[in-house]
Formats: sequence, structure tokens, C-alpha cells
Amino acid sequence: MDTRHREASVAGAGMALALGLVLFAAPVLLQADDPGRYLVLDNGLRVFLLEKRDLPLLHIVTGFDVGSKNETDATSGIVHLLEHCILFRGTASRSGEEVGADIRRHGAYFNAHTGQDLSVFEISLPAGEAEFALRNQRDILFDFAVTQAELDGEKEVILEEFNQMEDDPRLNATDLVLQALFPGHPYGRSVYGRREVVQAATVEDLMGFYRRYFVAGNCALAVVGDFVTADMERMVREVFGSLPKSGLPADPLPMAAPLKKSAVQRLERDVKDGYLYLGFVAPDYNHADQYAVNVLTEVLGRGVNPLLPALLRTERDTVQTVDMAYIASRYGGAVVVSIRADPKDIPILERTAVNTLKRAQSESYSKKDFQGEAELYAFDYLESAKNQIRFAFGRADESGLQLAGSLVRYILLNTREKPGRYLDEIGKIDSSDLRKAAAKYLARGECAMVSIVPKKEKK
Amino acid sequence: MKRPDGRALVAVFAAAIMAAAAPGQETAIWKAGPRRSALTTEVPLIFHQDKASAMTVIGLFVPGGRAAVPAGLDGLAYLTTRLTLEIPDEGKARDLMAQATRMTFSCDEDHSLVVIECLSENLEAALRVAGRIIQDPLMTGLRIGRGKEMMALYAQAEEDDAVLTGSNAALKAFFRGQSYGSSGYGSEATLKAIERKDILAFFRRYFTSKSVFFSAVSDLDPGAVQALLEKHFSKLPEGERSEIPAPPPIIPEEREVRLAKDSKQTYIGRAFAMPPPTPDGHAKGTLVEVLIGKGAGSRLWGLRTAERLAYNVDSRLTWTRSAGVLEAFLETENSKSERASDALDRELRALWEKGVTAAELEATKTMAKAAFLRQVETKSARMRVLGQFEVLGLGFDYITGLFAAIDAVSLDGLNAYIQAALAPDKALRVIVGPDGPESR
Repeated sequence: MDTRHREASVAGAGMALALGLVLFAAPVLLQADDPGRYLVLDNGLRVFLLEKRDLPLLHIVTGFDVGSKNETDATSGIVHLLEHCILFRGTASRSGEEVGADIRRHGAYFNAHTGQDLSVFEISLPAGEAEFALRNQRDILFDFAVTQAELDGEKEVILEEFNQMEDDPRLNATDLVLQALFPGHPYGRSVYGRREVVQAATVEDLMGFYRRYFVAGNCALAVVGDFVTADMERMVREVFGSLPKSGLPADPLPMAAPLKKSAVQRLERDVKDGYLYLGFVAPDYNHADQYAVNVLTEVLGRGVNPLLPALLRTERDTVQTVDMAYIASRYGGAVVVSIRADPKDIPILERTAVNTLKRAQSESYSKKDFQGEAELYAFDYLESAKNQIRFAFGRADESGLQLAGSLVRYILLNTREKPGRYLDEIGKIDSSDLRKAAAKYLARGECAMVSIVPKKEKK
Repeated sequence: MKRPDGRALVAVFAAAIMAAAAPGQETAIWKAGPRRSALTTEVPLIFHQDKASAMTVIGLFVPGGRAAVPAGLDGLAYLTTRLTLEIPDEGKARDLMAQATRMTFSCDEDHSLVVIECLSENLEAALRVAGRIIQDPLMTGLRIGRGKEMMALYAQAEEDDAVLTGSNAALKAFFRGQSYGSSGYGSEATLKAIERKDILAFFRRYFTSKSVFFSAVSDLDPGAVQALLEKHFSKLPEGERSEIPAPPPIIPEEREVRLAKDSKQTYIGRAFAMPPPTPDGHAKGTLVEVLIGKGAGSRLWGLRTAERLAYNVDSRLTWTRSAGVLEAFLETENSKSERASDALDRELRALWEKGVTAAELEATKTMAKAAFLRQVETKSARMRVLGQFEVLGLGFDYITGLFAAIDAVSLDGLNAYIQAALAPDKALRVIVGPDGPESR
């Protein structure tokens, strides 16, 4: 719990695979009394403006409905490479160095993430720099230009990112679990892509994706921060209103199918700890089961003293950390369980974790599951999980960049006409909903499993 | 000092203290800045009201941390702090769980920190339990043993992170493996050496009303939070305020630390001992950290974009009361490690020799101030920064004074600071990767 933990590179183009970034990004703001202003420009750009006046900061997140889901084996990694180049390699009117210098002069945090579904670009800076921020984002996102030499330069950076991911057992295991969880589906490709595709990529490869997907009609923009809504709307219209209107790319994908057979990978690396990652197919972003699975995830593996680590520690007391994340994507979802423990205990924890999750379909989660005196002593896991979700919402309210990212995700992924207020839907979940969700998504036991343990010493 | 007793007296006393407290400062950052008052037990409370969420976060800062750990007992501060959060009553633990209240802790260079974070509606319930366990912790042999087992595992796990490994190695080298350079989780030998009496002595010495203070950020009114803290934290032992040594860093004779790791990338870092965190020193150190490795356009950025040597280029400044330790580092493919090492030295030498330009200084000031605003945007982070500034001797209100301190840094002043602090012959070279021999 030392606070000098590893931190992500400030301006590194990060991957949305980091679970914290892609966790259930609900329409947090729709809970608020003043939910901000939503508008759609004539060219199809969807915009959400939300005043958050506690600090003189402005956060802008721009998302495009393009991710690794839109790639093929032959193009796997192009979206990630494109995201890097857009962020760091310049535009038709400015070089990458000039963009970087401008960003620095205006005190901006500047980053981007590629995920299975979306590519998102962030800028956060002093509130007085709103016009620069909007014009900069328009320039890099809609007037992108790159030479082959610049592209080749960024390829080497991407290959370094590959190496870094493969050296990090947590990132590596997560990437492998998600690939194994969706065989035959576009989600089964690594968001990082394939080295050989990245190495061979040409400017035309990139521009093919860029021209198709980086258009106003495929984009959502969220602005959160210290501004007056009417002023910001005027500025957004002025900066983005002249973008051409274009048709939306129509390439809907099939929904991800349940895993038919477990896939197990056991790897050895130069690590000291043991890492075990389990993935289960879960409901998609718009599925009615999402609420129950979110609560179930809190009960089992996320919140304060959840069930799963307690049960695993009765089996092996070397279990250090257990976490559980629900990743709700457009065409399917995943529940990923991550466990760190003494390497020698990883094999038995593989079995114990799967069996424990199988039994989740018959657990009692609420006081109401008990009768008589037992009700008095039973712990109400359900109520606890609902409070934990409220707690998470409270935390999200404090971070402007997180709010903006959540809004963009919602605008681009939601397909429900009336999704309802998120906390209201969570409030309706009862213990039987959790058992049904566990039976449907966890009980069959088919999962993608990746373990990473230290290399055996050579004799 | 004897505590006043009697409800009426407490109320009068509290009102008087509140009236005497420094008024909320008008700042450019917040309409009303943080303020300081004192509980009836004289324990200071730093408080900032923030209605951005219906959440409260309270930190109990216990000065000491790694600096207070005697030689050979590495891990003592962490273990003691951990034991203060053992909840003996299962029913109480369940109440906290049901309310989604979180109690966590950390142990840093100059302090230990216990954090209580909850929905504000549950604050009293959280403080009731926290007050009981922290003021009268259960330090049984069984719990001590379990704590040591987990610490051994955490220490092992840290080694899987090359950046953290490099950072720990730098502190260890500058402080000769003691005080700020001791291992937070301890080693097999030091954990074995820690006895229950050591833990009790550490607790009695540092977890006292004369030493500790609270830092809180909440949507609730300050008076309400103060009243709850007074109600539930009235039994902290008075003790004496302990003087805690703050040893200065010593540049080691052996300027290179190599740690072996069979990985695809090599971590290459250069670490420097920086001047102490006075307001001027802190502002200059912050600027140098941002200048070297934070974001696009930083001094190391070209090693990524132009020279294609790394994905991760970065800098990090760890403050202690005696000094800062600045690390400039990158992670590169093993075959590029020699070239990357030379390039890192070249960039740092150029900065040392030529200094910064006026334009670069202005951009860095803007970057540093904006980064700081983002850093304190959430309540939890702000609570930590308020407490950290207090521990470092800068005072909590430096949170509203940092901008002025940054603005006051002149071009000549910063270049003189760089000249003094970043001399190449004072750099500690830290390498974590497959080519190095075993750790020395």
C-alpha cells in the first residue's frame, strides 16, 4: 500500500484495457438534478456540455465509434497505431513537435485510449484555455496528416509499448484473457494488435481507417468543467459546426457468443508473484442483465471485503489481492477476475476460484434470504453492494475527466431509448436476480484462464 | 494537558476554537480554501469543504513513517499502522461493509496515514468504529504474525514492477538503506526481528494527540465534522511530541545500481538528491520534475518521439523533510539500452549546462499549475496533499500558496537550482534489466 506505486506515463497513449478505465461507464450525470446540455450539430456530431465549477479546469473527451472491433486479422493494430499518430504526429498545418509545444504552452494534459469499441481522445487544461482546447482537438482529429517517415517513427514507439505490456504480468494477462474469451469474434483480437501488421503499416492503411471513421457523424464530444453552458455551446458550434456532414459507417457486428470450452494458458516469466486471471462472457452494455452483473461483481470481488477473496483465503492464505471487473462493451461483455498469490498456490486457486464462482448461483445475498433469527445475523451483501455502487458514483462526480469519458462512452454505446436512471435500476435488483445472473454467466464454468508464475530455475 | 470534560465545557471550548481558527482563505483556486482548527484534545484538524459529491474523506496523519523506524526493524511503521485497522468486532466490520465505508492505510517516508472514506451520511458510524479500533488497537501475536506474512508477500510483489524497483533502489542508495531508504515492507530478517514490544512502543510513541493530525475534505459543514471527530477520537493518548530525525541524502560512492530482471525492456534511470522542500525549493523541484519528464514537449519527450527509444519516458520527485529525490527514467527494448542510456545522460547534461529558456520556463509553470489542479481535483487526493504539505513543514495552506511560489521562480533562480542539483557527477545510475549482474 505504499503510495509510491507505479503511475502511468502522463502523456503516454494509454490502452483502454486498463480495467479501471473501461469499467461500467454508466450515464452518471443523468442522475443529477442538472444533467447538462445535450445537442446534435447539423453535421451529426453529438455534444454534451456539463458545468463543473469547483475548480478552474476544463476537460474535453472526444470519442469515435471505432476500435479493435473494426479491424481484421490483416489490420489488427491499425486503430491503435492511428490513435498514436493522431495524438503525436501532427496535422495538415502543424508538425507533431508544434502540437506538443502548443499543448505544453497551454498547460494541457493530453492523452488517448484505444479500446475494443471506441477510440477516445482527452485534453484537460485551465478553464481559460477553452478555445485553444477545442481548436486543437478539431485540428488533430479532423485535419490529421502523416508522412511515412513519421508513421515509421511511431511504429517503434508502439513496439516499445508491446514490450512494456508483455513485461507487465497484469496487462499481459488481461490482454490474453480477453483474446481467449471471444474466439472468432472481433473482440478476440488484441487491442494492441499484431506486431507484423504494425511493422508493415503504410500511410494508406491508416488513412483508410481515418477517412471512414473519423467523421463528425461517428463522433461524440463531452465538455465538462468551469464554463457557462451558453458560451461553450457557441464556441463548440463555431469550431466544429463547419465539419462536413457524412454518413455513418454501417458495419454492425454479431453479438459475442458464450464460450463453449474453457481456454487455459499457463505462462512462466521472470516474476516473483503468481498471477491468475479468469474471464467469463458477460452481458453487453445495453443488456438488461447489466445491473445484476454489476451488483454481483461488487458482491463477489470488488467492494469492501467481498465474498470471493474471503472464500479463497480460507483455502490458501497467501492470496494477496483479488479483484473483479465487469467490462460492458457494445457487442458483449466480460467479467474478469484477477488474483495475486504465492506462485505455488496458483494451481489450486485455479480450481478453487472456478468452483467458488460456480456456487455463486446458490448463495444467499440478502437478509431477506434468511428466516427467523438467522436474518438478524446474516450479512446483507446485496445492500452493501448497492451502497458501494453509490460510493463509486460519488467518487466519479469529483473527477471531470472521468465524467466526460463516461458521457462519451454512453453517447456512443447506448442503444436503448429509455435506459432509466442507473441507480434506480440498481435499486431494483434483488437476491434472486444475482443468483440468476450467476447461473447464466458464471455457473457453467467455461472461462478463459491465464496464469503467470515464475520461471523454473535451471538445474 | 488535561482534557476538559463536561458536555457544556466541550461545546464552549469547541466554539471558541472554531472562532479562533484561521478564516477560510480566499484563493484563486477555491472560493473558500482549506482551514485549520483544533479539536478539544488539541489535535489539529485541517478541513476543506467541497460539495462536489456527498462523500467525506478523512485522513489521520501520524508523523514518523519510514523516517521513524529504528535500524534493523524495517517494516515496523507499516506493520504498526496496519494493526491499528484490525477490527476485532465482526459485527462492526459488517456494518462498515454494508455502508461501503473504506478504511485503508499507507506508510510513506515521513508519515503513516489511515484513511476513512465514506458516503457522508455514514460518517458518524464510520468514525465510531475507526475511533474505537485506532485508539485501542488489537495487537495480538496472531495478528502480528499474519501481518508479517502479508508484508513478505507484498515485498515480493513489488519486485515485479521495474519502475517501482528502480525508485526503491534510488532511495535505498541515497539513504544507505536506513530511514527513508529502509524497506517499507521490511525484509525477512527485519520482520523476524520485530517483536510485539517494538510495535507497542512505536504505537505509544507516535499515535499520540501531541503528534497526529487530521486532514479532511467533505461536503459537510466543518463544525459537524469536527464535532464527530471530537466525539469519537477523544481517547488518543497524550504522550509527548517525538522528534523524528530527517537524515539528509548522501550521494553514494558507488554511483550505479544494477538489478537483474529477465524482461523485454530495461529500466534506465538517473536519480538526484535535491534541496529540502522549502516553499522556494518545492516550487523549483516541481518545475524541474515537470520540465524533465512530464508530458509532450518535456526534455525527455524527444527520446520517445524523435529517437524512438521508449514508450515510457517520465520523471518523479519524492519529497522527504530533508530533501527531494528526483528520478528521470525510461524503459527501452534491451537492444537499445546502451543508446538510451547515453541519450538520457545527454539530455540531462544539456539541461544542466545550458539551463532553460524564458519561454520554456513559462510553459513549464503553466503545465505545473494545471497538473497540480488536476492532482487535487478529487477529495481523496486533496486530503493527502494537504496532509503531505503539513508533514513536510510547508504548511497545509501551501496548497493555495504553491501557485505564488511557482510564479516567483525566476529564470536565473531556476537555472542556478538546476546547476546545483543536476550536476552529472552527482547522478545515481539505476538499471533494472536482463544485462545487469545480481543486485549489489
